[in-house]
Amino acid sequence: MNVCVFIPTAAEPWPENATLYQPLKEDQILLSDCASSLAVQAYLRMCGLPVQVVCRANAEYMSPSGKIPFIHVGNQVVSELGPIVQFTKAKGHSLSDGLDDVQRAEMKAYMELVNNMLLTAELFIQWCDDATAAEISRPRYSSPYSWPLNNILAYQKQWEVRRKMNAIGWGGKTLEQVYEDVSQCCQALSQRLGTQPYFFSKQPTELDALVFGHLFTIITTRLTSGELAERIKGFSNLLSFCRRIEQTYFEDKTKNTKLSKFV
Amino acid sequence: MATPDELFCWEGDFGLPSVSTECLLVLAYAQFAGAPLKVHKISNPWRSPSGSLPALRTNQNETLTRPADIIIHLRKQKFNADYDLSAKEGADSLAFISLMEEKLVPALIYTFWVEPKNYVELTRSWYSEHMPFPLSLFLPGRMQRHQLDKLRLLREDASLEAGDELEKELYRDAMECINLLSQRLGSQKFFFGDSPSSLDAYVFGHLAPLLKSRLPNAKLQQHLKSVENLTHFCSDILLLYFPRDARENSNQKPSSAAEAGGDGDEVPYKRRKQLLSALFALGAMLSYAFLTGIVSIQHQQGALLEPPHHNPEQDEEDG
Repeated sequence: MNVCVFIPTAAEPWPENATLYQPLKEDQILLSDCASSLAVQAYLRMCGLPVQVVCRANAEYMSPSGKIPFIHVGNQVVSELGPIVQFTKAKGHSLSDGLDDVQRAEMKAYMELVNNMLLTAELFIQWCDDATAAEISRPRYSSPYSWPLNNILAYQKQWEVRRKMNAIGWGGKTLEQVYEDVSQCCQALSQRLGTQPYFFSKQPTELDALVFGHLFTIITTRLTSGELAERIKGFSNLLSFCRRIEQTYFEDKTKNTKLSKFV
Repeated sequence: MATPDELFCWEGDFGLPSVSTECLLVLAYAQFAGAPLKVHKISNPWRSPSGSLPALRTNQNETLTRPADIIIHLRKQKFNADYDLSAKEGADSLAFISLMEEKLVPALIYTFWVEPKNYVELTRSWYSEHMPFPLSLFLPGRMQRHQLDKLRLLREDASLEAGDELEKELYRDAMECINLLSQRLGSQKFFFGDSPSSLDAYVFGHLAPLLKSRLPNAKLQQHLKSVENLTHFCSDILLLYFPRDARENSNQKPSSAAEAGGDGDEVPYKRRKQLLSALFALGAMLSYAFLTGIVSIQHQQGALLEPPHHNPEQDEEDG
């Protein structure tokens, strides 16, 4: 990594060789990480910033915060959507400049709604539902490693997530209650979106990228039960919202995972 | 419906109906919705049916502990403060409650339970003074470990400790959250017009303790105090819905002379306590000595020990 700390980063333009790292797409990545990664990709595409997606088995350990995804731009490494949004803003790329104070407050609030309910629900289903954890999450999460490291890492991760669920009061929830929370969250998003093309009228913001990342991933991912995707498919405006962003920003690349196939 | 549900919550102080955020927001919601609860304000969490506070014992003898569950239960009983909200306003409530949980709650845990000065001088001393005797020795510490664990899990950092960098990061998020809430509230009386909803209860529950507590390290509190519409929002709710607690506080404040008198009272009270405990310890030691027969040995050695006692004095006289 070349270090050139003398030039203020804000002045540097977006380089051509920016990379986004995520776990292996086919055998390893889990629903929640895939959703977060897609959200960042959607955000960068909305900003018109090119980024090359690179899959690495140890992406989680390469990330400065331990979270997926992270981007490597010039001599800087930034992980997660929130910091990446701030980072691009410092470089002069922002999607939310046109919003007034109240709209910006609402946008941030809805982004936390997605993190607080959708992301937590994804983690819960992945690691706290025994069937999903045994059939999908543990084998996929540990696929690059051999025995006994694969079991150790997978159970360690599961234990960590379960402790976190207990700390935020989700420990005692049943799967049905979690699906109910997802419905409630989608209901709120659907109400907020209404008949507009994007959450704040005609221009997409980081909220649109985040919502798209999660909803699109949930709809197009096969889990042990299709219940989670079914809950989202009940909201037609959210579906057409996903399709709109897919067509506008992803049409050329994702022909093989077309949303229309799943709906 | 014949017997009202019973709500167990922490008792109040500093002009608040309860010192705990979760109790406060349930109390506020019940007031907003006009739910007739039988409220037990206690300072011994072991007297609550669940062992923690808040707890709601319904008339079917179920026990609910999570504020969200309690509010859903009240809503099912037709005590709904959100009845007048449109679907979009309901969605906004959910979003802003999530915003507070993600951005404000970690900083509040830090301010009250992790920041060393605040924890030792305010939180721990308040809880140990208010809890009954044997609990006051270990329960505040256990509550602190629980909160620290929670913060570590929320931040996904197992070795997290109090420190400037962490404080800066948490407070930056919290201040942003406070500013966003303030922008959303604007010049309205409540978040959705003239009548309070569950979002108002959540905001009040989270901000009122921060506003009213006497924190030794008050960085975050200073920021909140500088945001005028939110401070008015909190004091208006206190005056309108908890007039008794608010009045108690205002009675205390002007009589600063009485407070000084109170301090004066406290000192001899402390001395008396110290004297009593010294006497008790002495009594225990003496009775132990009597019972095990050390006393008789002491009698014999009393004569032997006397010369060494006199020796230093003699030396001094010599010098």
